[in-house]
Amino acid sequence: MSLTVWSVLFTSQTNVFGYNRAEMISYIFMAAILHGLVLASALYGLAERIYSGDISSLLLKPVSLFSYLAIEEVADKGRNILATLIESGILIALFQPEIVLPSAYTTVVFLLWAAGGVILNFLFSLLFGTLGFWSPDTWGPKFLFFIFLDFSAGKLFPLNILPDWLQSALFLTPFPYLTFMQTQVFLGKVAIDKILIHSSALLLWIVLFYLLNKFLWHWGFKNYAAQGQ
Amino acid sequence: MPEPVITVRNLKKHFSVYKKEPGLLGSVRSLLRREYETVAAVDDISFSIKQGEVVGFIGQNGAGKTTTLKMLAGLLYPTSGEVSVLGFNPWNRENAFQKQFSLVLGQKNQLWWDLPAMETFLLNQAIYDIPNPRFRKTLNKLVDLLDVKDSIQIQVRKLSLGQRMKCELIAALLHNPKVLFLDEPTIGLDVIMQKTLRDFISEYNKEYNATIILTSHYMDDVKELCERVIMIDHGKKIYDGLLSSIINKYARNKILSVVFAAPVSKNDLKKFGTIKHLTGSSATLLVSRKDATKIAARLLESLPVQDLNIEEAPLEAIIREVFGNRAKIA
Repeated sequence: MSLTVWSVLFTSQTNVFGYNRAEMISYIFMAAILHGLVLASALYGLAERIYSGDISSLLLKPVSLFSYLAIEEVADKGRNILATLIESGILIALFQPEIVLPSAYTTVVFLLWAAGGVILNFLFSLLFGTLGFWSPDTWGPKFLFFIFLDFSAGKLFPLNILPDWLQSALFLTPFPYLTFMQTQVFLGKVAIDKILIHSSALLLWIVLFYLLNKFLWHWGFKNYAAQGQ
Repeated sequence: MPEPVITVRNLKKHFSVYKKEPGLLGSVRSLLRREYETVAAVDDISFSIKQGEVVGFIGQNGAGKTTTLKMLAGLLYPTSGEVSVLGFNPWNRENAFQKQFSLVLGQKNQLWWDLPAMETFLLNQAIYDIPNPRFRKTLNKLVDLLDVKDSIQIQVRKLSLGQRMKCELIAALLHNPKVLFLDEPTIGLDVIMQKTLRDFISEYNKEYNATIILTSHYMDDVKELCERVIMIDHGKKIYDGLLSSIINKYARNKILSVVFAAPVSKNDLKKFGTIKHLTGSSATLLVSRKDATKIAARLLESLPVQDLNIEEAPLEAIIREVFGNRAKIA
């Protein structure tokens, strides 16, 4: 659908919000692939698993719960990426759009940032999971989060089309580092001198959410009721 | 004297629960102001268990049995007190500790629902780091003992409750745990399957000298497997000792089952004890435990007795008696 909307806009002009037609098409494909790679998660039901006591059998085994969940996540992402690549491959073969291909340098940065995005989203998922230590009702906060995420991570449209003040505000949050910044580096729209700044910001968010998780999980385990009996 | 494998000192687990009034108004009110109540699920329990012992945890629903087991397994964090299992603090969840025990919860399962049980066994082999030859040997042995050779390749959700429980036990025992916490392992099973599992647990205890704590509402499980019992009521330990001692102490009556050569009347019988059952030429009498032998002798002299049995009262009745006399014991 995004492809159709943007195609209509590009019929009357060659540049929309700083993107030419090839860049916008590349953006749409890349956002879809990153959605499968970064934002899709097997852990959205983690809070329910905690609240219902389903994680008890994992906690009893000589394996780190977080390693186990990480492997579940990787397996799920593998499946998502395969499905996205097949779907995108068919679309590219059918419509043969112009796709912007990055340089070797930006490809490396792109892959590192994509890995960072995966870790950041994993930490978000774990954070939402901790709600299950205290409440069975996690649907509301998750729904609000995903609605906000759709807009703020650049899934529906590139964040560059937003007013400057809103963009600045969004960059005070971790959301642009989930998929939007990865698309920008892929398209070569991030200046070399900014790469280090954004890499540091991404790393900082990862460290911050890691520490927050550590605190909340420790607190949560002390409250864990291991229900189900 | 061997060192205890499990030591529990002044263990407490208190839960804070909030009380909500019924209805929409109650829900709205609970958003603004909540009344919390502290429930003492386990209240100052102490005991120790030696290697190779099979101990029965007996108590009514909500007495604190499962909560105690969950604390011993490191699932629940105690409010206060000390626990040591195999020299470890369970709450630290160290790999070396987790490789040496198993907790089987009869109403929970670790098997992957949509996959054959064999997949869970293989996953456990990897998690517990069991060398392949030992894994195959243990698996074959457990599969033979429990007679589930044909079931382990079938999706778990398609197995009967009994088959599933057997597979659960296999999954829990593949790493040959030294300590086994069994919470209602025979719940919902038919009597034949209960007996099979009991025999298996007994066999496992003897072969591996494993320490076992068992909770069950089926007194046959406790009677057959446990020499020692710990009774818990409202989170407090009310008895810890031999099962035979509690029977001797609290079983006030014995049961006389009599078959007569000719029908006898109710009047002829009632002077011997309380008639529980009388149909034509067979009867069941409840008699005082200390006088049981004398009464049996008098019965043999006075009435045309063809066959006579003196039996203990059912364990369930004795346990009821104990819980009824809780104040006296405590």
